[in-house]
Amino acid sequence: MMDNLYLVARIADTRVALRSRAINSVVTVGTPVRVPAAPPYVAGLFALRSRVLTLIDPHVVVGLPPVPVVEGQRVIVVDVAGHGYALLADEIEDVCFIDAPERRIAGKLLPGWARVADAVIEHRGASLLVVDPAELIVQPVAHAA
Amino acid sequence: MVAAGLGAPVTAMDDLLNDFLAETAEILAEASGALVAWEGDPADRERLDAIFRSVHTIKGSSGFLSLPRITALAHAAEDALDQVRRGHRAADAALVTAVLGVVDRLQELCAALGKSDVEPQGDDSAIIDALAGTGETPASTRPVPSDREPDRFEEEDLSLDLQAWRSIRVPLPLLDSVMTGVTDIVLARNEFGRMLRASGVDASVVAAFDRLSDSIAAMRQSVSQMRMQRIDKLFAPLPRIVRDLAQDLGKKVQFTTSGGEVELDREMMENIRDPLIHIVRNAIDHGIEPLDQRVAAGKGVTAHLTVLARQSGNQIEIEVRDDGRGLSPDALVAKAVASRLVSAAEARALTPKQKLELIFRPGFSTAAKVTSVSGRGVGMDIVKANLEKIGGIVELRNEEGRGLSIVLRMPMTLTIISGLMVRAAGQYFAIPRGAVREILLENSDSVRIDRVGGGELVTVRGEQFPLLRLEAILDCEAGEDEDADERAVVIVRPGQGQSYAISVAAIHDHEELVIKPAAPPIMATGLYAGTTLPDSGQPVLLLDVQGVMAAAAIDASDVERSEGDGPGAPEDEVREMAQLLLFRDTDQRLRGIRLSVIERVEEVPAAALFESGGAVRAQIGERIFPVHAARLPETDAAVKLLRLYDGRSILCYPIDAVIDIVRLPDAIQPAATPGLIAGVVLVGGDPVELIDPFWLMERCDPATSIAAVPQRQPLCSLAGDEDGWGNNFLAPLLRQAGYRVAGADDAHAERPDVLLCLADDPAQCRIDGDVPMIRLRASLAAAGPEDETVYRYDRQALLEALHARLTKGAA
Repeated sequence: MMDNLYLVARIADTRVALRSRAINSVVTVGTPVRVPAAPPYVAGLFALRSRVLTLIDPHVVVGLPPVPVVEGQRVIVVDVAGHGYALLADEIEDVCFIDAPERRIAGKLLPGWARVADAVIEHRGASLLVVDPAELIVQPVAHAA
Repeated sequence: MVAAGLGAPVTAMDDLLNDFLAETAEILAEASGALVAWEGDPADRERLDAIFRSVHTIKGSSGFLSLPRITALAHAAEDALDQVRRGHRAADAALVTAVLGVVDRLQELCAALGKSDVEPQGDDSAIIDALAGTGETPASTRPVPSDREPDRFEEEDLSLDLQAWRSIRVPLPLLDSVMTGVTDIVLARNEFGRMLRASGVDASVVAAFDRLSDSIAAMRQSVSQMRMQRIDKLFAPLPRIVRDLAQDLGKKVQFTTSGGEVELDREMMENIRDPLIHIVRNAIDHGIEPLDQRVAAGKGVTAHLTVLARQSGNQIEIEVRDDGRGLSPDALVAKAVASRLVSAAEARALTPKQKLELIFRPGFSTAAKVTSVSGRGVGMDIVKANLEKIGGIVELRNEEGRGLSIVLRMPMTLTIISGLMVRAAGQYFAIPRGAVREILLENSDSVRIDRVGGGELVTVRGEQFPLLRLEAILDCEAGEDEDADERAVVIVRPGQGQSYAISVAAIHDHEELVIKPAAPPIMATGLYAGTTLPDSGQPVLLLDVQGVMAAAAIDASDVERSEGDGPGAPEDEVREMAQLLLFRDTDQRLRGIRLSVIERVEEVPAAALFESGGAVRAQIGERIFPVHAARLPETDAAVKLLRLYDGRSILCYPIDAVIDIVRLPDAIQPAATPGLIAGVVLVGGDPVELIDPFWLMERCDPATSIAAVPQRQPLCSLAGDEDGWGNNFLAPLLRQAGYRVAGADDAHAERPDVLLCLADDPAQCRIDGDVPMIRLRASLAAAGPEDETVYRYDRQALLEALHARLTKGAA
């Protein structure tokens, strides 16, 4: 069962459990190429073998100021609607099966997180937000208008 | 199907069946389009033959596979069509509907076959009877039978079928894997080449590598051609969809397609098939108004729906254009707020463009209520998503009340193009080589750059282009360690008849680039056409020269550039370029007229046209207009009129049908003598006669025309009109000649331009101010040589005198 396999990582200064279904791989990034005139959450482009991936800065997606990309930083490669994206991660912790059930989010979150987080899950004595990586890639509402 | 039970031949039979299904699906899709076209023009023998061959092929192959229902249906349709071919039967709407019925049933059967491998049981007699149920041609109108022997038809058909066998079917995944393989080979070659150059190997190794390179280039060329298909294929099912839908909804739609010869990658085609059908359905269902609303809006009853494809550089554009009601931004906002897609506060902050783009939000449906036609859960959001998947974009060009154009723009192929690598703002960008016209260094002698009014112009050998700095377009700082001597100007041609210049920090080189669509947020900038991985291994963005032009809002048209069109001119001017309305004249000739002289296209009942005084005129509403026609049209049906307007008067020109609006070609072959036809131009390879509006208007003299548009008409004042002669006899004549008439008693604030004195004693005709006066006399003979009076029944002299007084007054 892949359904309860999660990637535990810290993105946009928050520990989250990412649903693994859409995740392709975790790699390190070289120097990305800027994309002038693109929305701020697009941190650039970089090549992974013969593919060109679009680098997404989750900080901007959840409403925080952008963070510069560090060479060698780890990114989470995700395929959404036929395009390859890479999410900048602050830290990759673990890939693991979590048997605990996903529960409804009880507290009030920052609007950016409220939009992308689906549930909370209990993992090694801490509550993690459950996030579908694809949610971090769709255009944020705040930028659409 | 005993063989199927025996095991071994099963796969062979399956293959045959799959081939048959694929082929039949293709044939049927084309046939229904051809049928609808043929219905419009039953005299089109070639089309009839093509349809006949289609059903003949289906009959042949289905017989071989022992599919009795399909064979019977195809046979019946073939019979009916053959009777038409031999002139035993007329082609009418009933027959076309019946054959379309067969096509539908065949499609159902094929769908069932695809699922279960067995032809389902059922009764087709109703459909076959419908074919027989249409009447015979009366003997008198029967076409002259062909002098060929009837059996010859069969031979001819078979020879054409053989042609079709000279191609094979290849499963799409196989084709795709070949393509991916070639793409990887190209990338590996690039990397290998880079390593070779770095290692400084022997010249003979480099030569061998170059040979390998050349054959790889040739191979990828063939592979990309393998994947290309004419866009005709995509258009084939549309006429049928339009016909059926328009009939269901009781609307009249004239559907035209153009640009069918444009080629597009197969995969692209698959991705836009459904969006295109959806947009066409939407246009008919929501865009085009019901007949009464069209009339009320002053439009022709018959709506025009056009699907056109064109290629510009590495991009393909498919435009679906209707002349319906267009989108109402306010209605869209109201609906979005009502369905809680946006809050009222958000809605207020939307720009007009964003309001229109609400239709792309998931869950938005423009119909006031979901209809059976468009409300199928496929929305514009799916259309947009499909396009974005292949690196395309959807553009709306809305004219509220007058129509909507939806433009699908996508890269021509996911394959390889030749690109020019340039540098700006410290990074590389690629420009499609096909769009590059010329490359010059900025400090070269033949280049002059002028700053004018905040914009820049570059003049190259007397030709002027708007100049855009790439850094400025991309809103970036200039890169470090840039050498001003390296700056170059790249003159690009984004489309036919357009060009502008991009200034870049440096030119790098040419490279074969594998282009992949960029992610939607990047494509949404409108500046890029995709991404690529060149030899360097660093991703590079491919610039969309058309998008850059749009983003900079420059007028890039080549027209009258030498007169000094500056940059920053509104984009609208591009649209104001001379356009030509193509139409079929009443004598069935293809003609064109400048769109700018047409006020509107009107459809009037034949009864609105009448003959009077040897000229044909049309009554439209409360007004009467002259009509350019020698005699009344011999029809009871509605007549289409082009209303030409020269700023003063209106002339109606009857036509058979409007075909299209195109750009007026530059090359006009002038006519030998002045007349209705000013010359001939080529539009899409067809000769089109160009109407001379000057000649037309000249013939309907505006001065005497009833249709003269009210303008500043001179005011004649009648004085001394005691017996009412002036009012009863003179005033109508004056009014017809284009004057306004006031009696002496009328309290007119306006000073008359001329005074007509009807009394014998001029003292009775006094008026304040200096107004020229004409005295009329009742006797035929003048009192003497000094007599300046005019005999009151001398119409010519009176009008001349009036004219003379007025021109003198004006001078």
